[in-house]
Amino acid sequence: MSMIFSLIQAQEDTAASVDTLTKAYSQKWDAASNLQHANPVLKAASSHDLIFIVLAVTLIIWFVLLFFIIRVDKKLGELENEMEQSKINSTS
Amino acid sequence: MKLKAWKYLVAVWMTGVIVFGFLISIPNIPILKESARNLFFHVPMWFTMAICFATGLVYSIRYLNDPSAELDRKAETATQIGLLFGICGLLTGSIWARFTWGTWWTFAEPRMNLSALGMMIYVAYFVLRTAFDDPEKRAKIAAVYNVFAATTIPFLLYIIPRQLPSLHPGAEGNPAFSDITAPEMRYVFYPAVIGFIALAIWLIDILNRYKKVRQQIEQQ
Repeated sequence: MSMIFSLIQAQEDTAASVDTLTKAYSQKWDAASNLQHANPVLKAASSHDLIFIVLAVTLIIWFVLLFFIIRVDKKLGELENEMEQSKINSTS
Repeated sequence: MKLKAWKYLVAVWMTGVIVFGFLISIPNIPILKESARNLFFHVPMWFTMAICFATGLVYSIRYLNDPSAELDRKAETATQIGLLFGICGLLTGSIWARFTWGTWWTFAEPRMNLSALGMMIYVAYFVLRTAFDDPEKRAKIAAVYNVFAATTIPFLLYIIPRQLPSLHPGAEGNPAFSDITAPEMRYVFYPAVIGFIALAIWLIDILNRYKKVRQQIEQQ
């Protein structure tokens, strides 16, 4: 199959592989396993199998793209106004 | 500088579609699992593409009836945005296929291959446009080609795939909404289709206005 998947496969096959799905990968990741005891906001955000995290990521991308579209639209509107203005000036 | 009100409505509407698309509870279907939510994002790509191409076809026919640079511009823009959504449909379909059918691409799946063929026919439209320096000649030949290109889409995407055995929902004469599609998913699916089509209209609007300003500058 693809390279990405063969890499993942290789990692699973090695004897030294770590079960990252049920245990924290390292001490640094311990914060992720203690989310049940974190503050209520983080607790709510990490509920439902982390679907809210995917939603947040998607919304950030959507809002950035939306901001960009609105900005281009507005700039184009200003340019159109300028063109109108110069047309009026040149005819009068 | 304020935008037209409907554009803000599209922004809010699509945000709602994304939020509800992720958060409504859907029944657990084997193999598909949560990826069934792709229905809200992958399928509207093709609906939107079809609407854009149909719009381009209408402008191309109107151009042939009564040639003007404006109609050619509008036909080209609608087709550009249509192709953009079509490519998104192919890419999202491919990633979905990897995790449900087990492969990024299979030549045994007619809908997948014929939609890729349809995209190539439309890529050829833009290649063809670059071949002419004379704008009127370019516009006329592009309009004639676009009538051909748009005619192939119903056959490639809706008719032939339903005559052939296929993994894709909506094959073998089945309606795209089969028994495995939970009825409550329609409450997000139809708004998603409307939202993406409105988004496409917004993009077409921006691109058309840009081309108009560019043309005015070139004429000065």
